[in-house]
Amino acid sequence: MRSGDARREILHAIRTNLRSSPPVQSSPSPEGRGGQGVRTPEGRGGQAVRITQFTEQLTAVGARCTTVRGEADAAAALARILTEAGARRVVGSDAPLVQRLLQSVGNGLVLATDRLERLSRDELFACDAGVTTAQWGIAETGTLVLESARERSRLLSLVPPIHVALLSTRCICDSLGDALARVSTSSHAITFITGPSRTSDIELTLVVGVHGPQTVHVLLMEES
Amino acid sequence: MTFERDARTALADGQLRGALRQATTLFGERRRAALATAPDWEGARDRARAIKDETLEHLDRYLEQFTANAERAGARVHWARDAAEACDIIGGIAERRGARSVVKSKSMVSEEIHLNAALARRGIEPVETDLGEYIVQLAGETPSHIVVPAIHKTKAQIAALFADKLGIAPSDDVATLTAAARDALRRRFAEADLGISGVNFAVAETGTILILENEGNARLTTSLPRTHVALMGIEKVIPRFPDLDVFLQLLPRSGTGQVLTAYQSLITGTKHRPEDEGPEELHIVVLDNGRSRMLASRVTRQALACIRCGACLNACPVYRQIGGHAYGSVYPGPIGAVLSPQLFGLARSAALPYASSLCGACRDVCPVKIDIPALLLHLRAQVVERGAGTHRVLERLAFRTYAAVMTRPRLFGWVVGFARRLRIMPPLSAWTKWRDLRPLAPRSFREQWRAGLRDEGDPDA
Repeated sequence: MRSGDARREILHAIRTNLRSSPPVQSSPSPEGRGGQGVRTPEGRGGQAVRITQFTEQLTAVGARCTTVRGEADAAAALARILTEAGARRVVGSDAPLVQRLLQSVGNGLVLATDRLERLSRDELFACDAGVTTAQWGIAETGTLVLESARERSRLLSLVPPIHVALLSTRCICDSLGDALARVSTSSHAITFITGPSRTSDIELTLVVGVHGPQTVHVLLMEES
Repeated sequence: MTFERDARTALADGQLRGALRQATTLFGERRRAALATAPDWEGARDRARAIKDETLEHLDRYLEQFTANAERAGARVHWARDAAEACDIIGGIAERRGARSVVKSKSMVSEEIHLNAALARRGIEPVETDLGEYIVQLAGETPSHIVVPAIHKTKAQIAALFADKLGIAPSDDVATLTAAARDALRRRFAEADLGISGVNFAVAETGTILILENEGNARLTTSLPRTHVALMGIEKVIPRFPDLDVFLQLLPRSGTGQVLTAYQSLITGTKHRPEDEGPEELHIVVLDNGRSRMLASRVTRQALACIRCGACLNACPVYRQIGGHAYGSVYPGPIGAVLSPQLFGLARSAALPYASSLCGACRDVCPVKIDIPALLLHLRAQVVERGAGTHRVLERLAFRTYAAVMTRPRLFGWVVGFARRLRIMPPLSAWTKWRDLRPLAPRSFREQWRAGLRDEGDPDA
């Protein structure tokens, strides 16, 4: 097959060209120096410090954050967020926590929570808000990490103009490197989300909500 | 010469130069501010470069490892020797999958291989979904900046374009214009059955591809359609999953001055169960197109370490004045001046290695420490070696004459005196075309020196 030829030829060209130049000596070992250089030294101050840094960074990147304690509190906060945003058509992921919260929010504004996989593309595009959990948060950058192996959150965190993400304070990592070490690489899709969708493509003027959500609201669930 | 003509045109365009100055200055400032948030920037640069060097040294092995792991996770990897082969592969996938509506997120490599034109010949019109790329596509133009493709257009021009092509009421409100593009592109996303994206990093150890962006269009492109085609150069591979850390520290800070862009999508193969979200098929097209040649020398190999941040464009005194189009290549600026001649042939881009003052600003800002000035000099030497004909004979003659005059003080004095009396200058048009020459002083330094000796007496006497 032609593709097999291409593969063989490209690999052959790579090997031939590599052989024609002497191997590098001076380059430092990639395992060695600089590896620790990208760590925040003060990032190891325990959970309280991590939570503070995470919420500060969320604000800095244009996301909102509400800290709650317990499911009743979370449901009340979620209802408030959705009502204030005027969200009528809301869809939740298949995470049990999301399902429970949306059931208790109820009162007519929730649509299609129990049939996400049967939601057509047009119905999905018509939703006002998507509710998911996040598997990890990153304190250093105010980032949410979503894993496909844990929950169907890929489109709900992207298509509706409002994304509400539930995150446990226990799941906040110090840094990007920590998060990369913790994510499950068995997920076929891992998404890092830092603030709302943004563009500066027209005269460098910042506009949020260009293709993805305009509003990212984190419900931070306090757990000791 | 195309570059000289296009550079001249760009220099005469006041609006373009204003926009370039604003953009490159802003990105430079944001970059510097973002560097301050990285505790050991230099350490990160060294580590990233070391990872790239290690990868390139064993590129065959890492590409094979990447392919095996990506295919194990459900992706299909295709190899393309050149642009035509890559376009054929992608066109074939689109036809086999019966794709009618194709959406694209930003990919420099797709510009490099002129994918849109190739697909159009098969009756498929891919829609660019990055806002800047969309504007450029609607206008029938090409991107002028790696990170901000439509930097050369004002909002008034974009408003007129949208009024014409999208039928919206003219508005110079940027949020309104952005919303109009969002609505138009949402309709395309709703019907899209094939998505084409680029790749920022490909992890050999896991078979993962990573795509960075801010708008969310790459996430839509890679999540919604039932087929996803990811296009990457052979140099995009890195060895290990944790290696992503250092590159994610460097790329957003260098490119847009962000600590992290809004989204990173890490995609490993296809969905595991039918009820999972995401495409049924993932095709990864691995492109050579002249890259393997660059491995043959230590100097040229460096250019394969580039992570396409665009920092060297914003720092370059030449790019800041002329913008991207004058380079006549998908890759503009300092990195384009070294990539284009190597990828597309020296004969086609012989002027580009000279489109630099060799000030070294590009090398200073490069997150992977590519010595671009050394590469430019290497390519200039090649231009001279390969260039033949009258230009070279005249140049030799000129330098021989210069040497003859400069090594004979009496002859030098005579020539200079003669030139001064007649007020003629040597034929330096190639120099003075781009630079102002100071007027001749009334008396030469040698004359002043001698006069000084007479007035003050001869100290050595």
